[in-house]
Amino acid sequence: MFAWIHVKSAGTFFNSPVPAERGNTVKNSKSENKGLNIIIVGCGKVGAALTEQLSKEGNAITLIDKKPQKMQALEGLYDVLTITGNGASYNVQQEAGIEDADLIIAVTNSDELNLLCCTIATQVGNCAAIARVRSPEYSAEVEYLRGKLGLAMIINPELETAREAARILSLPTALEVNSFAQGKAEMAKFRIPEGCILDGMTIMNLSRKVIMARDKKANIIVCAIERDGEVYIPSGNFEMKAGDIISFVASSKNTRLFMEAIGMKSGRVKNTMIIGGGRAAYYLAICLLAAGIEVKIIENNPARCEELSVLLPKAVIINGDGTNEELLKEEGIEYAESFVPLTGIDEENILLTLYAKQVSGAKIITKINRITFKDVINSLDLGSVVYPRYITAEAIIAYVRAKKNSIASDKIETLYHMFDSRVEAIEFLVESESAVTNIAFKDLALKKQLLVSFINRRGRIIIPTGQDCIRVGDTVMIVTTHTGFHNILDILEA
Amino acid sequence: MNRSMIRYVLGHVLKIEGAFLLLPCLFAAFYREKEGLYYLAVAAICLVFGYLMTHKKPKSNVFYMKEGCVATTLSWVALSFFGCLPFWFSGEIPSFTDALFETISGFTTTGASILSDVEALSHAALLWRSFTHWIGGMGVLVFLLAIIPMSGGSHINLMRAESPGPSVGKLVPKMKSSARILYAIYLGMTVLELILLLAGKMPFFDALCTSFGTAGTGGFGIKNDSIGGYSPYLQWVVTVFMILFGVNFNAYYFILFRQVKRALRMEEVRYYFIVIFASAAVIFIGLLQNAMNIADALRHSAFQVASIITTTGFSTADFDLWSQTSKTVLVFLMFIGACAGSTGGGIKVSRIVILLKTIKKELNSYLHPKSIQKINFEGKPVEHEVVRAVNVYFITFVVLFSASVFLVSLEGKDLITNFTAVAATINNIGPGLALVGPTQNFGLFHVFTKYVLMFDMLAGRLELFPLLILFHPGILREFVSRKGKRVGKK
Repeated sequence: MFAWIHVKSAGTFFNSPVPAERGNTVKNSKSENKGLNIIIVGCGKVGAALTEQLSKEGNAITLIDKKPQKMQALEGLYDVLTITGNGASYNVQQEAGIEDADLIIAVTNSDELNLLCCTIATQVGNCAAIARVRSPEYSAEVEYLRGKLGLAMIINPELETAREAARILSLPTALEVNSFAQGKAEMAKFRIPEGCILDGMTIMNLSRKVIMARDKKANIIVCAIERDGEVYIPSGNFEMKAGDIISFVASSKNTRLFMEAIGMKSGRVKNTMIIGGGRAAYYLAICLLAAGIEVKIIENNPARCEELSVLLPKAVIINGDGTNEELLKEEGIEYAESFVPLTGIDEENILLTLYAKQVSGAKIITKINRITFKDVINSLDLGSVVYPRYITAEAIIAYVRAKKNSIASDKIETLYHMFDSRVEAIEFLVESESAVTNIAFKDLALKKQLLVSFINRRGRIIIPTGQDCIRVGDTVMIVTTHTGFHNILDILEA
Repeated sequence: MNRSMIRYVLGHVLKIEGAFLLLPCLFAAFYREKEGLYYLAVAAICLVFGYLMTHKKPKSNVFYMKEGCVATTLSWVALSFFGCLPFWFSGEIPSFTDALFETISGFTTTGASILSDVEALSHAALLWRSFTHWIGGMGVLVFLLAIIPMSGGSHINLMRAESPGPSVGKLVPKMKSSARILYAIYLGMTVLELILLLAGKMPFFDALCTSFGTAGTGGFGIKNDSIGGYSPYLQWVVTVFMILFGVNFNAYYFILFRQVKRALRMEEVRYYFIVIFASAAVIFIGLLQNAMNIADALRHSAFQVASIITTTGFSTADFDLWSQTSKTVLVFLMFIGACAGSTGGGIKVSRIVILLKTIKKELNSYLHPKSIQKINFEGKPVEHEVVRAVNVYFITFVVLFSASVFLVSLEGKDLITNFTAVAATINNIGPGLALVGPTQNFGLFHVFTKYVLMFDMLAGRLELFPLLILFHPGILREFVSRKGKRVGKK
């Protein structure tokens, strides 16, 4: 408890300002008083992203790390307690108050330490445990480990990143594709090109004017539109313009049909070039090869190349410096249909992306691990960008929000932050009767800046109209610029 | 610099002061004293100012170390300024300087008075004097953090600037809960003392004021002879509570949450008790030689040691008349001070322990020049940064102390008076020796000297740097020029 904190001289303490909260946090008296006691072990990229989000949501957070310097920075920014030490040590966990903790999240850079942390914590305290496990050796055994060790969740950011990248590559005209309802529904994000039929169309007319294949009307819903840096949850008479970035939700089949209907390509890419042969590259290659996409990986380290060639016999493994222009040309970057820089250095990834944009028409996905200058990155117009640390943090936050509300029984299935966390897409499972069930949407007093984008009723995706209503057993997806929703009831105007 | 946030914090501080000022009003009404009206008026002024300043919420609540320091220091200055107005308006302390001195002495829990006849004051004034100790003891910003909902986590910068000690650790992850726990312990112990004093048949008003004075380790007495006139039982109660309020409050938190072992393991607290016992023993022997009976000698030595080490400054006897050895021990205790994280002042036991361990380490390095050694404290290795900060703190303390002694000496008083006057104010104790001894007061000093001592009191309470940073050219420039405003695109 006696944490030594050195008080530094003024002015040198921090360089980066706290980002101002953009959304209007939902004032939910229950959530404000009843934050969870959460212990986060490891203050790396993911640890910091988690700390930021979870402390904003009113949870009591204790950080454990071996290095006090890292935590000092976080302590000055967020309302957290810090403890220096090894998170897997019983004594340290006790000092952090493991007995009263509701949740322990182990996100150090060692898989084994994370698992050990959680194992000890579940033995000592009565808390849920989430471990980050990244290595492919364990990832195949995740379900077994999770069950045997009694963990609430094992999360693999590289695998999640790879899955997201694979989803985008299967719909290359989209900037981002997220899946909901166990893959039955998708949310895709794309930029309206010049001359597209959507230019100048209002949302209301969308379903009338856009005719999809087999003469069906467009059964999609536009969730959010970004224009000139502002994000709107559009109403019926919102007029779309070329250059807008729109997010829409549809069933997986309809996503493609809609894209075709508005004159955009919907075929998946045929081949891909991956720079860097790390874990994310391995997982991505597995996903893509399974879908029949040719994969070429360029990796600098010969030993790693050999490993990869054994693990991925179908892929082409090239040993060489992926940042070498000659090599990239030799390997045919001009003709690649897609290009995914996955090196460990963000700056390299960004440069590679910019280079690839110049020399080829490939679909490009950029991985950004660490850099926080989101505005600068947005202005670079990189196309699709994946952020592994946010992917991890979102999965965990969805779990925390659901746990926080474990008394009221609406579970959060998935949570996505879109448009720099300005918009949240949350999938609730409605398990009991409440004020929102069995009442047609037109009779519900919903909050402004909020959209019910689909209902998953026993596997069928319903894009709701005013006549539809929520039934028990449905999963409902909400898209909103409000933050901090815990419960389906939060959609109602207070 | 985020000036609007500083204004917002200051506004809240004024509102809190306005609310606190209602307590003396209540007592004035009870004793039918017309002075109460002045307290009511000043309370109204504070509330109005506070309301105006907090009416507009700041756009950005970004709050860094420098904002924390500036807000804390300015809060204390504002607190003292408005707090002294009732004394001055009511004419009970006719000079503004004296009124300000008395109030700063109160809020910084020093207890150095400029009044020669305390008993002539109204009840409202006596209560407000003692109450300022209680407010200042745990700190008004900690109180603010406990009650005002403030979003964002950077408010630890406020607590860091205000809380005593080389390190500020929260008890629980949430700032607000930590602050509340601290105040709950503080209030609980104050009430306990009040009950025990009432059990010893002390009048309620006296018991309340004495409890406030003990809890904040302040030391304003409401009698001319401080605590000397009360029964031995009451003196013992005060002794015990003075010592208790000088203990690091983390210890009480551990005890409350049934982690007694951890409380007992606290190294600083152990050293604190060792110092108390050792010095009490020395003085006890000295008093026996003065032909005092054993019970009295024990009581006086324990009381005075507790009073000085916790920087309270109550007295039961005129220790200026004691042997030179005893006086020297007391002067040492003035500098050592209480534990970090308590309500006491001084250099703090933990800093002294770290300094002594540094000396030991240095000596070892002469013996084994290549040896590598980390200083251990509270069972953990001390980061180099902390050791450095402690060393710099000590050096700064010595520099500031010497400069103050020099400035005070310009008046031409004797060295003991000058030395102990500065020691008693910068360490937030109250009485010194010779002309500022326990039976004397600070009224005899020149106005200039009083301002020097006021500065020392604030510097001592805020642990030097938050106050000194205000005089850093960079901060001054940011504060005065309009350029301090954020330069934005739009």
